[in-house]
Amino acid sequence: MILYVDRGWFEKYNFSCEVELLSGAKMPKAVRYRANSVVYFNGDVTDRIYILKSGKVSLNYNDIETGQEIHDLINTGEFFGVKSALGKYPREETAVVLSDAQMVIFSVPEFEQLAMQNTRIIMKMLKVFSNQLRRMHKQVRNLISSGNEGLEPEEGLFRIGQYYLNAGKYPQAVYAFRRYITYYPSGIYSGEATMNMEKAEKACQGQAAASPAGSAFSVGAASKPAVSHDREELSDTAKKYYNAVSLYSQQNYQEAQKEFQKIVEDGSSDEYAAKAHFEIGRCLLGLEDYEKCVQHYTQMIKRYPTHPDLRDALIYVGQCHEKLGNSQKAASFYSKVLSMATENEVVYRKAKRALRQIEEKR
Amino acid sequence: MSVDLSMFERFAVTFQPGDIVFCEYEPGDNFYLIQSGRVQIVKILGDIEKNIDILQPGEIFGEMAILEEAPRSATAVAIDKVKALEFNRQNFEILMKGNPQIALKLLKLFTKRIYDQKRRFMILTLNNIEARVADVFLMLAENQVVEDPDQDQRIFKATVEDIAHWAGMSYSECKKVLNHFAGQRRVEIYEDSITVRNINDFQRFVNSQRNKQKSET
Repeated sequence: MILYVDRGWFEKYNFSCEVELLSGAKMPKAVRYRANSVVYFNGDVTDRIYILKSGKVSLNYNDIETGQEIHDLINTGEFFGVKSALGKYPREETAVVLSDAQMVIFSVPEFEQLAMQNTRIIMKMLKVFSNQLRRMHKQVRNLISSGNEGLEPEEGLFRIGQYYLNAGKYPQAVYAFRRYITYYPSGIYSGEATMNMEKAEKACQGQAAASPAGSAFSVGAASKPAVSHDREELSDTAKKYYNAVSLYSQQNYQEAQKEFQKIVEDGSSDEYAAKAHFEIGRCLLGLEDYEKCVQHYTQMIKRYPTHPDLRDALIYVGQCHEKLGNSQKAASFYSKVLSMATENEVVYRKAKRALRQIEEKR
Repeated sequence: MSVDLSMFERFAVTFQPGDIVFCEYEPGDNFYLIQSGRVQIVKILGDIEKNIDILQPGEIFGEMAILEEAPRSATAVAIDKVKALEFNRQNFEILMKGNPQIALKLLKLFTKRIYDQKRRFMILTLNNIEARVADVFLMLAENQVVEDPDQDQRIFKATVEDIAHWAGMSYSECKKVLNHFAGQRRVEIYEDSITVRNINDFQRFVNSQRNKQKSET
């Protein structure tokens, strides 16, 4: 027996899903309801889930935002009463039969059995539910104006880093700032975030040294080896470097590139020279000088074969090739990154996504 | 629900105490099922870190990422050494086919979250700020397990800040309302708890306010 469920369930969501009932699976019997009878009332607590087979049923409830009375007509083949039955809370609508109807009634265990054999039902309901939840979150947020709930993600993430830094929770601060820099490399706070991340890293090392048990915290799988710092104050080179990062974050790529170039030529700090090399490539990308960017990174990789940002550099090279119209070459660079990273790393995901996009374009 | 998870070993990740699993506002594409250890969910509001929940083994978090990659709405921090299974939209299908029970559990989790969120929304729709504070206590009472459900007096392990958070108002505004209630001997405010003398009195008050509001629209 095959039962087709056309749309989904009681709210106005357009998805079609078919329920194939395996032969041998116990199917509850269909029950008849007369016109003008009530299947259940708002406030009832029962564990019944329904599929409408024929006839007309309306779900009546008041919109929680406007208080307006809403009548939602169920289509044949749709589930209703699912959420309150599964969540074991009172019905939030009254189900009224408008014309003689037949429906299949499931208890929660029966529904579970059906769903486990047809995981697509679960999948589709999950999507509907998570959609509803997101909408509810938004509605709640709209009514709350206090706190920082209305923040843009970029500013929000930076502020979290600041909170942890001020609270002396350094590993957490490192995490938040690192994420900020990953997601918003040219964001308005990227200079400050880089500087504060180094500050927090330094403090982490201080904490680890002070604790006899060694490191009390680790920063998680995504952490790079912390940069070593013996000096308490930032060196001149470091100051120059952060100044250049700040220029970059303001999208002033030309000036930023000049400043990074100076650090490379100055040669007083190998660590910052390597970092600056990497950043020059990003400036060239920002300036849309893709050929030069490829050349630059090729040289950098020769000079620093173990550069900590090597894989990111390869992603940028891939992006340049894409911009230059050579998606095959781009794909080979992204694949290279995949082979150098593990699945839970950000670069891995980036490369994977880029590859997927190339695939989709084909 | 006991579930055999041995086949998902390759999705296992571990976190050390204090590690951030994910951070509020960062884009999320993974969700987690805790196998061992506890995870704390927090939200940072200004200068305070607010505990939202403490999750135990068997619980799922980060589930909003199933639908789309959207910013996380809270931060998840490992309390103990945590072992969790990490899933994303790509490998979710494998999870579903291999173990529909987890998916079912997820479905139930969503129904609860939607209900809780709706309940929270109901509080915020009240125009009268006293009714809003009273309704926060009603919501807390609904989630409370008490020996005698008919008892009038209820004690809540909540601070003025907590109540303000749920009521969607500032601390000082909330404090004013609570002080007013205290003056009427309807509540007693302690450092880490608040006693409501008669929860049914609050219920009647909120009901009448809702009806009043309904008749006005």
